[in-house]
Amino acid sequence: MAAAAVMVSSASGLLAMLQEPAAELKLHALANLNSLVHVFWPEISTSVPAIESLYEDEEFDQRQLAALVVSKVFYYLGELNDSLSYALGAGPLFDVSDDSDYAHTLLAKALDEYASIRSRSLKATGEEEMMDPRLEAIVERMLDKCILDGKYQQAMGMSVECMRLDKLEQAISRCDNLNGALSYCINLSHQYVSHREYRCEILRCLVKIYQTLPNPDFLSICQCLMFLGEPETVGNILGKLLSGSKDDALLAFQIAFDLVENENQAFLLSVRNRLDTLSLQASAQALPSDQTDNAATESSGDAQMADNVVTPNGSVHTVDSNEVAHADRLTKIKGILSGETSIQLTLQFLYSHNRSDLLILKTIKQALEMRNSVCHSATICSNAIMHAGTTVDTFLRENLEWLSRATNWAKFSATSGLGVIHRGHLTQGRALMAPYLPQSGAASGGSPYSEGGALYALGLIHANHGEGIKQFLRESLHNTSSEVVQHGACLGLGLAALGTADEEIFEDIKNILYTDSAVAGEAAGIGMGLLMVGTASEKAGEMLAYAHDTQHEKIIRGLSLGIALTVYGREEEADTLIEQMTRDQDPILRYGGMYTLALAYRGTANNKAIHQLLHFAVSDVSDDVRRTAVLALGFVLYNEPEQTPRIVSLLSESYNPHVRYGAALAVGISCAGTGLSDAISLLEPLTSDVVDFVRQGALIAMAMVMIQTNESYDSRVGTFRRRLEKIILDKHEDTMSKMGAILASGILDAGGRNVTIRLKSRSKHDKLTAVVGLAVFTQFWYWYPLTYFISLAFSPTAFIGLNSDLKVPKFEFLSNTKPSLFDYPKPTAQQTTTASVKLPTAILSTYAKAKSRAKKDAESKALEKAEAPQSEDASTATSMQVDGGAEKKAPEPEPTFQILTNPARVVPAQEKFIKFLEGGRYEPVKLAPSGFVLLRDLKPTETEELVLTDAPATQAATAAAAGLQGSGASAMAVDEDPQPPQPFEYTS
Amino acid sequence: MDPKLVEVTQLFSRFKAAFARNDFDTSVGLLSQLKVLLTKFPSLPPSFQQTPNAVEELKIARDIYEHAVVLSVKIEDQDAFERDFCQLKPYYMDTCDIIPQSPEEYPILGLNLLRLLVQNRIAEFHTELELLPVNALENACIKHAVELEQSFMEGAYNRVLSARQAVPHETYVYFMDLLAKTVRDELAGCSEKGYDYMSITEAKQMLMFSSDQELREYITEEHPEWEIKDGCVFFQKAKETQPCKEIPSLQVINQTLSYARELERIV
Repeated sequence: MAAAAVMVSSASGLLAMLQEPAAELKLHALANLNSLVHVFWPEISTSVPAIESLYEDEEFDQRQLAALVVSKVFYYLGELNDSLSYALGAGPLFDVSDDSDYAHTLLAKALDEYASIRSRSLKATGEEEMMDPRLEAIVERMLDKCILDGKYQQAMGMSVECMRLDKLEQAISRCDNLNGALSYCINLSHQYVSHREYRCEILRCLVKIYQTLPNPDFLSICQCLMFLGEPETVGNILGKLLSGSKDDALLAFQIAFDLVENENQAFLLSVRNRLDTLSLQASAQALPSDQTDNAATESSGDAQMADNVVTPNGSVHTVDSNEVAHADRLTKIKGILSGETSIQLTLQFLYSHNRSDLLILKTIKQALEMRNSVCHSATICSNAIMHAGTTVDTFLRENLEWLSRATNWAKFSATSGLGVIHRGHLTQGRALMAPYLPQSGAASGGSPYSEGGALYALGLIHANHGEGIKQFLRESLHNTSSEVVQHGACLGLGLAALGTADEEIFEDIKNILYTDSAVAGEAAGIGMGLLMVGTASEKAGEMLAYAHDTQHEKIIRGLSLGIALTVYGREEEADTLIEQMTRDQDPILRYGGMYTLALAYRGTANNKAIHQLLHFAVSDVSDDVRRTAVLALGFVLYNEPEQTPRIVSLLSESYNPHVRYGAALAVGISCAGTGLSDAISLLEPLTSDVVDFVRQGALIAMAMVMIQTNESYDSRVGTFRRRLEKIILDKHEDTMSKMGAILASGILDAGGRNVTIRLKSRSKHDKLTAVVGLAVFTQFWYWYPLTYFISLAFSPTAFIGLNSDLKVPKFEFLSNTKPSLFDYPKPTAQQTTTASVKLPTAILSTYAKAKSRAKKDAESKALEKAEAPQSEDASTATSMQVDGGAEKKAPEPEPTFQILTNPARVVPAQEKFIKFLEGGRYEPVKLAPSGFVLLRDLKPTETEELVLTDAPATQAATAAAAGLQGSGASAMAVDEDPQPPQPFEYTS
Repeated sequence: MDPKLVEVTQLFSRFKAAFARNDFDTSVGLLSQLKVLLTKFPSLPPSFQQTPNAVEELKIARDIYEHAVVLSVKIEDQDAFERDFCQLKPYYMDTCDIIPQSPEEYPILGLNLLRLLVQNRIAEFHTELELLPVNALENACIKHAVELEQSFMEGAYNRVLSARQAVPHETYVYFMDLLAKTVRDELAGCSEKGYDYMSITEAKQMLMFSSDQELREYITEEHPEWEIKDGCVFFQKAKETQPCKEIPSLQVINQTLSYARELERIV
């Protein structure tokens, strides 16, 4: 017989058969063609019209087969659109489960098509676009198949993309791991859904599913609700949890902390109000003794009240204790929601863990020329940033005379720097600043510059938590006619009342604006923006109109930034305003337009916005606009930091220095705190650019990227630190880049090396304060005092575990990696002394570490007898080394894990290594590697050992403020030195 | 024996009988039945399954299609000829290893070549020729067609017309008749290009018409753009040759300038 592989060499026979009059023959030919199309599609393609006519022939009973053949031919020809339309014609013959390239490609195409039609019809709500029911059928078939096959994630992804919430619901409810599926969906909606309204719809749908669960994940629900802006529902949930068991209360606290982290002041306020009304209703109902008529209570809360009543289970004597506990919890949660608790704890943490290196500042101070005021105030600023939130002002106190060289606006900056250092010191803030504040009634003794600075400082201290200070700031604003003081007061008010949209304050600031004074007007513009952050109110139009009227560039600039702030996060809603501003004739308003784009689309990586910004970056005539456009990319892209270096890499090689500067800062903003290698590689050449201000920008950006990374994590950090030092010490370096280097040193070690720049909260929401802070910070190009706004972007990298009393108990957990990887950078050694001591010997790194530690210990020994035995060990080790003169001993291998003690510093990169130990006394309510975590006490009967009992704040004292009594070194006890090398046997 | 095969064989013998007595209507009817029956055989192209009766089935199928081709010539249906020939071709091309060569193969291939020549599909003619093995060119039937084509290309139309007398197979006569018309069309095309006008007598002679009437009919049917006046045929010059396409200079310049501008912006 013949060889096995006999094949036809041509399809012409079959094609000819198609022309036969008999239908059976046509059918036979078609069926054969269908199976051979992958081989003979070039031949068949010439006969496609014939097959098409078969498909269109109503009489022919196998039209669908014809369509399938045509579809395949078109697929091979690369005509996917035609292919898809015929595949739709093929109806059931098109097999979605087919595992061929053809089927895969067409399915993907069908999905794309469907998704794009759906999203178009969503946008143009007026006219419903025609949806091909066959297309819909195919997509539905595919979704159903995915759900049946258990590919839930795939199904969820597809249904989100196709805007089929019904299918999404179905997929989720079928899934075995419900909570996993829901959190997957939440992620999905944040990462891939660019349309804001639609995202809300998804979240609403998710919340609905969550609520049907027997054990709902309240943490996630509340996050969703926050995004949706439904404070009432959150309030109800919290109220319910509070009146539940102790664990429920813990959960409520945890939720509250998570909500606070997202820094949405207005939202938190509404939640608090809701809780208040709830508790009123509850107390009115829960008292069985006097059954007062509850006609007054709102009907809206009825359903909720019913739930509340059930819990105190009726018996009279328990009611009271329950009442007390409930009231206690209520005050606590209100404390948390007001942000005071977390600010307080953060302050304690930053103070107790402060590791800032005064020697760096000292070096800077000494290296600088006396008369260079730019560098002088940069140094003061750097100090403020370095100690942001730590309340440590030793450097200032030690250098009072040097400090007094700051005059005029430098004095303003210096004073406001105190606000950064004492950031979050809500209780003492006003007392601390008292000596500088304008004295009401009495003739002002101090200079207006320090008075203005002090008001600004108050704003920084109370940023986003200004309930207590608003009134004072307003009075100060009323009582002054000095534009410098007005300037400070406007900024301060804006900061303190961030995003509250308070009408009265707005009117006050507007009056300042209408005085048309350049200095005060600029601050007023920014202040109005801060006040109205994210409200998208029509006030923006008013501001824009005034910006057109006024002659002062400063005011226009302030206003345009203010306008940008009002549409923070409003995405599509801001499009009209963006259009208006970017088309303006005035470059300053276009510049504001760039900020508007940046803030409206912050962290969305929206393609349209990126496209627009890139367009302006290369086409605008004004350098300022181009610079800002590039810089704005950083804001738009901060949710995908890996993308930014790639997108701006070309721009960073632009001939235009402004564009290069923008590119540097864009990378700095979006990759802040990530230590991303690509970002560092991009910035490195820019730090030695030919233009001074580009170097400045690159140095600052580099510091922002590298914040909290140490040399053993990326060796370039060490190189960068040495480079900063070199620039500062170099007599011939330009002032601009010197200033950049000084600021960079500050940012690199910001907040006592315990904070990072974080624009997204742990739950992937954007942190309003941080983003706004960075946006205003970038204005330092025009106005140095605005540099301090960067402090708003700092967030402490700490794990703070709390018990049900919101106290910090003793709790240990594991960091499953080498300690050195995320350790604090080594303190700089005093060069003059070290150089003379240890020149000749080659030094191993561990030895050097031990030695420097020993040296530090030795210094402290002069003051107090060494009580720590480790330091003894270390110093003996050192002396043995020196005596032996040889380094034969192998260095002790570094341990691969580290036990951290609550509260502990956990840098972002370290988070993935954090493990909680089993079998301890406490168990975290939420397995979060950092931030505030409530701990469930498994042995409630035993007494708890607490750390951080007292507010360290009381120990702090300002340079000029009345000495505050210092007491209690208990907080310091937590702060232990890193473990010294283990004892070893020395054998020769 | 397979009942299907038996059925086909019986039907085929009835077909051959009808074919022999030139009862074409019956033949056509039977043929289409046969074709439908053939689709039931899995051993036939394109699947070529190796069934026990494969050889017989292939042979009879080939035989049927060969008859179909000849029948289509007899009923003078060129479309049917092409259809049947295409279906027959796989039996010639792909089954050499399974069944012996058919005696009818070359005459039919030659016939096909002739058809292509008649339809003036010279490109396809050569394609087909290339596919044939070298020794096939020796065959009288193939040679005939090849020679005709050569004469045709040379413009030796008289040789083409005289070749009718020396056909290698009686079925070729039909196509040879048709060839005369193809030649006439060629001549008409050449005249049109070569002359501005021509007298009716000359035209009649050139295009091999016996009467003026025939010439007129031909012109109105095939070349309505020609014109007869003053005893001459005026060939309307084919439309003025179009001026060579304008270079889109403005567009190119604009594009280049915009490239330059973009480059300047970025680098």
